[in-house]
Order: sequence, then structure tokens, then C-alpha cells
Amino acid sequence: MKVLVLNSGSSSVKYQLIETSFEQIEADADRTIARGAVERIGTSSAVHTYRPEGCEKTSTVKEILEHSVAIAEIIQTLTRPGTGVIGDASEIEAVGHRVVHGGEKFTQSELCSPEVMREIEDCCELAPLHNPHNLRGIHAARQILPDVPHAAVFDTSYHQTMPPVAYLYGLPYVLYTRHAIRRYGFHGTSHRFVGWRSRKLLGRPREETRLITCHLGNGASMCAIDHGRSVDTSMGFTPLEGLLMGTRSGDLDPAVVFHVMHKEELTEYQATTMLNKHSGLFGVSGVSNDMLELEKAEAQGHERARLAIDIFCYRVRKYAGAYAAAMGGVDAIVFTGGIGENSPTVRARAMEGLEFMGVALDPARNEAAVKGREADISTTDAKVRTLVIPTNEELIIARDTLRLMKGKLQPVG
Amino acid sequence: MEFRKLGIVGGGTMGKSLAEKVASNGINVVLVEISPEKAEQARAELTASLDRELEKWGITASEKKVVLSRVRFVADMYADAHCRAELAGCDMVIETVQEDLEAKKKAMRRLGEVCPPDRVFITNTSILSITEIAAASGRPDRVLGMHFMRPVTRTPVVEVIRGVETSDETFETALALARALEKTPVTVFEYPGYITTRVLLPMLNEAMYVVMEGVASAKDVDLAMRLAYEFRTGPLEYADRVGLDKVMGWMEHLFRELGDIKYRPCPLLHKLVRAGHLGRKTGRGFFVYEDQQRVDAPAEEVAL
Repeated sequence: MKVLVLNSGSSSVKYQLIETSFEQIEADADRTIARGAVERIGTSSAVHTYRPEGCEKTSTVKEILEHSVAIAEIIQTLTRPGTGVIGDASEIEAVGHRVVHGGEKFTQSELCSPEVMREIEDCCELAPLHNPHNLRGIHAARQILPDVPHAAVFDTSYHQTMPPVAYLYGLPYVLYTRHAIRRYGFHGTSHRFVGWRSRKLLGRPREETRLITCHLGNGASMCAIDHGRSVDTSMGFTPLEGLLMGTRSGDLDPAVVFHVMHKEELTEYQATTMLNKHSGLFGVSGVSNDMLELEKAEAQGHERARLAIDIFCYRVRKYAGAYAAAMGGVDAIVFTGGIGENSPTVRARAMEGLEFMGVALDPARNEAAVKGREADISTTDAKVRTLVIPTNEELIIARDTLRLMKGKLQPVG
Repeated sequence: MEFRKLGIVGGGTMGKSLAEKVASNGINVVLVEISPEKAEQARAELTASLDRELEKWGITASEKKVVLSRVRFVADMYADAHCRAELAGCDMVIETVQEDLEAKKKAMRRLGEVCPPDRVFITNTSILSITEIAAASGRPDRVLGMHFMRPVTRTPVVEVIRGVETSDETFETALALARALEKTPVTVFEYPGYITTRVLLPMLNEAMYVVMEGVASAKDVDLAMRLAYEFRTGPLEYADRVGLDKVMGWMEHLFRELGDIKYRPCPLLHKLVRAGHLGRKTGRGFFVYEDQQRVDAPAEEVAL
């Protein structure tokens, strides 16, 4: 069965067409047929990049003012004779949508019933920068493909298994009951996917595996997974908490915000933008938010680039230690995301000093693990395995969509 | 209603601030000035304003680029055919020329000639009669007032003022624009000063009387008001920022229109304006300014 997976942002729609079935899932043989993105929606020069699997990427520029037009354009491209990958839009049997925030309501993926749509709307308050755009994408896609089921897969739902000790802040409790102020965590689909792959790779049952997954990209978060369930994660009420990120500060004494606002005479908006877009690797280094560029700058002796990478790695190490303590031990630490999958330096530096826990990296294996291949990069006798697993959130979205359609949604993991 | 391109006539402080907000919200802008030199100056000043925002972490370097790329600076709508064509292609036009009835009527008249008859015009005024301005456009049902407050990028409210002839459809269009710019609209029926200006001015004026009567220094008046009522800026510094000539113009207008003694401009305000101390823009008003920043000069420096 072919599932169209859509990720709608404020001015973009990213997509993959995925072929999946229960047999293919069993054999781990479901695959992406084509992928692409429409960016700069709302302008006369929107860019549509499209790549059928095994072919060259093409990109076209044209006026696309709305998400619905973007999705119509995507379907046209997928069905275009010659370059398309399907004969007719009717071959798309379902659509899976990424939705950032599911609040406390959604503990798993759901079909988009009117009730579910209302509840996603209710979560807009928690994620004003994301959910409205996700919703707009769902509405537009349903207009264009009205006869197939649409499913919503949430970034937060995987972390709904966290216990109160992990998700509550030390704030007046009334804020939790009144405004749902608590830690939600994000990247759930990614943590869930690499957790599942890791257990397969290690050949261990879910009940006997404690994992620490590190999704390190421009946004970065870590997750403690016990019995296949998320028991803690580093992002909180918003994706701003936790690790140092490309342009986000991560953990911070909240008093700093008020102090800086006062000293620099900042508005609330400026302070928010500072924390989200001017901080992190970029803010510390003053060079870039891109790890590859930072590594180059560091090699040329750039002091603050080194400092930025050091802080980044230190925080990963600190959280790894914390999560091992939270679970009473750890069986494997897993790296994924753009940086996690491609930077041997970051992996090595982040794991430095964790030998006492049983972590030991094999330098050659670590160096060799790049470019989207799964690998065990630990020494043969390491007590704790260190893995690199390329993430695939779209695949999880496609699989959940299939399972929901056939009424066979399994518990997470 | 979707807005794709908005015309803004007048690249003064309000015009630029409005252009910055409109472009930041993803709408293209045609900013019309009276000469190519003025248009170039408006571009330079808008760039400088974005640089200040970048320095305060409010935007990123690439966002600055995107915002600038959305604004086209052109001149002038009387002589230049290209400029007229740009204006005619706008979904709506907002005029922000100086707060002077004749100047605004002249601009409206020209817009009426240049733009297709179905286009809505907005006049940005804090005090003048919408009905009078609208009449000049030849389409009074499609004109209404919107009083934006500076800096437009930050102030979350806009007064929407209906003239006598303004149609419901035009009013709805204005509300849609307010939503597109993330502003809370407040509906006002035409009356001198609307809400904000009418309530604010007597307070500024009264603060000046307190200084003139020697009850307290300008510094203490502002300090007390700021701390007592959580104002970001005290009333006297606020008047300095607006421009004392402008404040006086407003007061005189209210005094004339409403005839009530409570709108009589404070003599100290007269005195400062006559001396050319117009506030922040001239470096001196109730306070002293260097590079647009208030410096704490001794109180006696203020001409009393």
C-alpha cells in the first residue's frame, strides 16, 4: 500500500511517498518511492524539489501561495507521466501527517476524525508556531484527497509514558492543572524509531533493554527508553529545553532571561527570538549553527568554535549520565540525526569519560560510521553498546497510518 | 481576504515602521515617496531599523534580507508612470503622509485617480476627520481610518475609524488587515482624537503643567509616572519622542475642534516649540538626547 507522508510547516510542505504493508514491515522491506519538499510557500518563487528513489533531484520554481496548492502540485508531480512514480492519485491509499504537539490527549497516533481534529486544534495553544501549520496541511490534503484516510502522528505522544517525576516542573502545581505547564518532549517519532531499530540490531527483547537515544541535529534531544517506553527526555514544555542546539540555548536558569531583558531592554519577542534563533552553537561560536563548519573552524584554531562544540558534547555526556542513573543502568547509547549520524568527532567527545559506565568506542568503527548506515561503534568487549542508527520518522508515520487504517495499531515501540 | 501587495504612501517614521511590520508578516510592500532621493533615504532608514532589531536578537540576518526584499521603494505618484503602475497593482493602499488635512486630501485625490475603483484606501491619522479625507478620494465608501501606533512592529493594537460613508465591506477589509498584521482592532466612531490620542494628550499636557508650575522636575515627573503606573516611558519623554511640535499640533487641533479649555496647550510646550526644542529629533525637549538616546543632563538645562 502507498502512503503519502506530509510534514507541513509555516511555509513548507515536506513529503515522502512510502510503500508499506504488514508483510513488508515484518521483513523490514517497506521503502520510500519518492521524496521532496515545497518551500517558500506564499511567495511567487516557491521552490519544489523532487527526487524519485534512485534518480536525480530536480527543482522547479513557481508561484505557490497556499498549502493546498502545494499539495496539489506534489500530487501532480508524483503522477506526471515520465518523471512521476505512480499512474494515478488513486494509488495513494492513505495520508500520514506529522503533528508536532498532541498535548496530554494523544498517547498514540490517530485517524483524523472531526473529534481528533478539534483536539489537535486545542493543542495549538501549546505549540503556536507548529500546530496551526500542521492543521492547515491536514485540511488542505483532505480537500485534495477526500476519499482516503488521514492519520496524525504526534512528536509528543511517544513521551506520554514519562512518569510525573520526569514531566513535572518544580512550579506551583496549579500551573499544571490550569495551563498544562509540564514537560512534553519532542522528536518522539525519531526516538521511537531508533529505539526499535536498536533492539533489533542488538537482538534484545524490549523488556530487557535500557536505551539512551541521542537525536542530534539542528534541534537536539535525548531520550531514556526502558521497556520500549520513553521514561525521560531532554526537551520540555517547548523544544527549547535540554541540550545545546544549532541556534537554541537549551537548559538555562530562567532568571537569566529576566535579567537580560532588563539589562538589554528587550521585548518578550526579542528575548524569545534570542533564545531560539541566536543562541546555541551559533550564539556561542559566533560562526555558524552547522556542526561541519564548526569542526572546520575549530581545526583552524577558532577558539569559540571549539568551545561551542565542547559545550554541545558536554551536555550530551551529562544527560547520558543522568539517564543511566534514572534507569539504573544502560545497555546501549544510540546516536541519530544529522550530527549524530555524521560526526564521529562529536560522538567520540560526547562519550569521553563514560568508560566507568562501560562505554567504550572503537575509533576505527566510529570513524567509518557515516552517511546513513547503521553501525555498532563500540569495542567488541564494551559492556554498553554505542550505536549509530539513521532515523526515519516518515517510515514510522507511514506504518502507523497503515496500522490505524487496518485497525491494528500496536502499543508504541 | 488575502493581502499580497500593499501600497504605503509616505516613507516617514510611520510609513517605514508600517512597511517593516507589513513585510515582516509576509506581505509585499510598495513604499511611495515624493522623490527618488527620499525613496533611497527611506530604504537606508528601514535597513538601519532592521539592523537595530538584528542587534537586539529580534530577527536573524536572513530574515532581515527577506523583509528588505519584500519592500519596493518608488517615487513619485504624480510624475512617474512606473510608480503609478506599482500602486495600481496593490490590493490596498495606506497613506501615511504628514498629519495635515490638505496634504492628506491631496494624496487621496491622487490615489483615487491612480488605483482601480474597487481598491480600499486607508488613511493613517491619529486625529483628523476621516470623512473629510475620504471625500477627496472620489470613493468615500471605500476609505477608512486606521490609527497605527509606533513602533508598528511592537504595538499590538490599532484603532479602526469609520467615516460617515465607510461601507461595511470596507470595514471588514480593514479588520482583515488588522488580523493579517496581528493587531487587535478597536472600533471607533469618528470624533476628534478617537480614543488613544484623546486620552493621552491631556495627560502629557498636565505633566508639562506640573513642570511649569515648579511642582516637580521633568525627571521626577517621568520617574514617578513610570514606576507608579508601569509605563515603559514617562509622559514627558514620550512627548519628546513623538515630537513636541506634533504634540502641540494635536492639542491645538483638539482645542479648536472641541473648544474645551482642558485641551489648551501648556504654555511651556509653546515655549519649547518656539525655541526649536522639538524633543528627541532635535536633541532637546524636556530632556537632552544624544544619538536618539536620552542622556541624563542636569535638570536646569531644560529651558523653563
